[in-house]
Amino acid sequence: MTTTSLAAEAAPSPRADFADSPVIRSRRRIDPTYYWMVVPVLALFAFFITLPALVGVFFSLTNYAGYGDWKFIGLSNYVNIFKDPAVLQSYIFTFVFALTTTVVVNIVALAIALGLNAKIKWRTGIRTVFFIPMVLSALIVSFVFNYLFSNTLPVLAERFGFTPLATSILANENLAWLAIVLVTVWQAAPGATIIYLAGLQSVPAEIYEAADLDGAGSFRQFLNLTLPLILGYLVINVILGFKGFLGTYEIIVGLTGGGPGMATQSVAMRIFSGFTGGDYSYQMANAVIYFLITLLISVIQLRLIQRRGVSL
Amino acid sequence: MNASVPASLPSRRSLLRAVGLAGAAAVLPLTGCGAEAGRQNGVTTLRFMQNKPEVVDYFNQVIKDFEALNPDIRVIQDFNEGNFVPGLVRNDPPDVVTRGFAQATADFVKKGIFADLADLPAAATINPEMQELISSWGRYSGNETSALPFSVAAAGVIYNRDIFDANGVAVPTTWDEFVAACETFKAAGIAPIYGTYKDPWTLAQGMFDYVAGGSLDVAGFFAKLTATGADISTAAPESFTNNFGPALPKMLQLASFAQGGAESKNYADGNAAFAKGQAAMYLQGPWALSQLIAANPGIRLGTFPLPVTNNPEETKARVNVDMALSITRNTPNMAAAQRFVGYLLEPAVVNTYNEKNAAFSPLKDAPAVTNPQISGLNHSIKEARYFQGAVTYFPPSVPVNNYIQSFVYSQNGDQFLSALDDEWRRVAERTAA
Repeated sequence: MTTTSLAAEAAPSPRADFADSPVIRSRRRIDPTYYWMVVPVLALFAFFITLPALVGVFFSLTNYAGYGDWKFIGLSNYVNIFKDPAVLQSYIFTFVFALTTTVVVNIVALAIALGLNAKIKWRTGIRTVFFIPMVLSALIVSFVFNYLFSNTLPVLAERFGFTPLATSILANENLAWLAIVLVTVWQAAPGATIIYLAGLQSVPAEIYEAADLDGAGSFRQFLNLTLPLILGYLVINVILGFKGFLGTYEIIVGLTGGGPGMATQSVAMRIFSGFTGGDYSYQMANAVIYFLITLLISVIQLRLIQRRGVSL
Repeated sequence: MNASVPASLPSRRSLLRAVGLAGAAAVLPLTGCGAEAGRQNGVTTLRFMQNKPEVVDYFNQVIKDFEALNPDIRVIQDFNEGNFVPGLVRNDPPDVVTRGFAQATADFVKKGIFADLADLPAAATINPEMQELISSWGRYSGNETSALPFSVAAAGVIYNRDIFDANGVAVPTTWDEFVAACETFKAAGIAPIYGTYKDPWTLAQGMFDYVAGGSLDVAGFFAKLTATGADISTAAPESFTNNFGPALPKMLQLASFAQGGAESKNYADGNAAFAKGQAAMYLQGPWALSQLIAANPGIRLGTFPLPVTNNPEETKARVNVDMALSITRNTPNMAAAQRFVGYLLEPAVVNTYNEKNAAFSPLKDAPAVTNPQISGLNHSIKEARYFQGAVTYFPPSVPVNNYIQSFVYSQNGDQFLSALDDEWRRVAERTAA
């Protein structure tokens, strides 16, 4: 960094002719502390994330099993991915799951936030209770729920004669994903609630008084005042949530392990199976495809955010 | 600006120097070790990696005895099997290895990781039928003996002797007798079989493997299937669809004898419930025995091979080579490693191990097993009527256990078998490339 600042000193800034302010800025010495803050993290990130990712991309073009000999096979891993119905099924499951969970999490979190923002009794205590799920490990939470679904719930359902729940819903290929949605919502809602609470507290109280005077009911107030005013927070929650749910892994491992059958295999689980399955390069190709898809979604969402004038 | 240059340069140089020193310090002792680890003061150090953490104490004793007889060799036991592949990648694998022998180990054999043991005197003492369990997976360069069996686990139907006696049921030797026994228990209000379908592997090793192995030649089927390569369709004579079809109704019948709610029970639940006498039979291997005894020390257990046909002479047990001994090909301590392997295969060592761990010894003249929990399998083992589980032949990238679970829930056999055909073909296609 010394060399860069030396170069800046020696060569006159080409922008010096246009305006005064850039000259002043380039003359002002940049405090090296900022570089000390950024560069180590950048180096760690590059070494532990970017570099392994590039190695993975490289091996996705080979037939490497994770050990032993390998050779280049071009794009045939990618071609095979598109012909694999098991992989396709995991994509469908993951996207349906992520969409459903995002919708439910935001409805639940917004409802909780509205309640916790109102002047209710023991507000602080209740807030604490609602945020406990966030500090618990997702894996532990899902093991606890696994026990509840498999043992407690069937016993209760049998006692009260409610047959649909008499066998564990985790053992039902068509319903197991709902259990995963439920646990994910339980775990993810507090985080979204915090963001909504911050948003709700930024709305000035006067506008509600004004709306009251104009005769707007509370539902009307929510729809026409609260929602537009916290829209930025909603967008952030939807984007962060959706991206997180696309990578869902540990809650599924704790609840169903991808079963029953193949019903709840997420893309992340499929990719991870490559490490133990001698299928490393094939699942690396899957990972690259998934990365490109999430990248595309992120770019679209960032565009949306910028249009709304919100920045992450 | 100018002041900062001389100040920052030396500091960076000294930083680099410090990093360099630290790096050198980290590397030097390692290389020192690597050069001298094998031999020090005339003592050769062997690294012995074994795959069963629960028997560390037994091998510690074995190593102690071996070292007393061979003062020039020191053996270090490593029971973390996860270190094996990283060791290969670093080109520093252990000298002597035991592994469970199935698809993954067969892949190592194909890549020539292990030395040829055919010339060891101990190799001649092994029961050739049990050696064939290993050879059938394929031999390196066609004729090498890459591993010698050390312990063979045999699995069948674990049964509660008290429940059998109380209901006057004898150990069934044909499929019809087995079904009749199940009906008897059902009529008496006892669950015939304890099912733990929540753990798909229990369905795979029990219901699926037992019925498949009892009704068709599993090893021959997979040999033909592998030889066909990627060019396989559902209609081909080698396909799953054309071979496993007749076995499926018996699998479903077997599944129907499980207690209600088997879908929400896992292996741990099953052990606890079976130990409490909540079912008459349990489709598990010897690995479950110690847990059942721990949960209920008073329980009287036995094992019989599941009869899948009505000819008692066709009844077979499911076996797996639980521990197979190998020496890595590039070990610098080949002579010492061979002496250690020879010692491990001395009757006193290998027979005692298997007796203690409810397993079968691979030696030709091993005494018959007297443990009443598994002695019901003696006949099958002695006459070499056994098979290795069909699921062990699948490459790990095929989630075959989940497909089996799906099949039991949906009862759709055609869909199940064509899914297996498709998965097998896809894996063959991409690994053939």
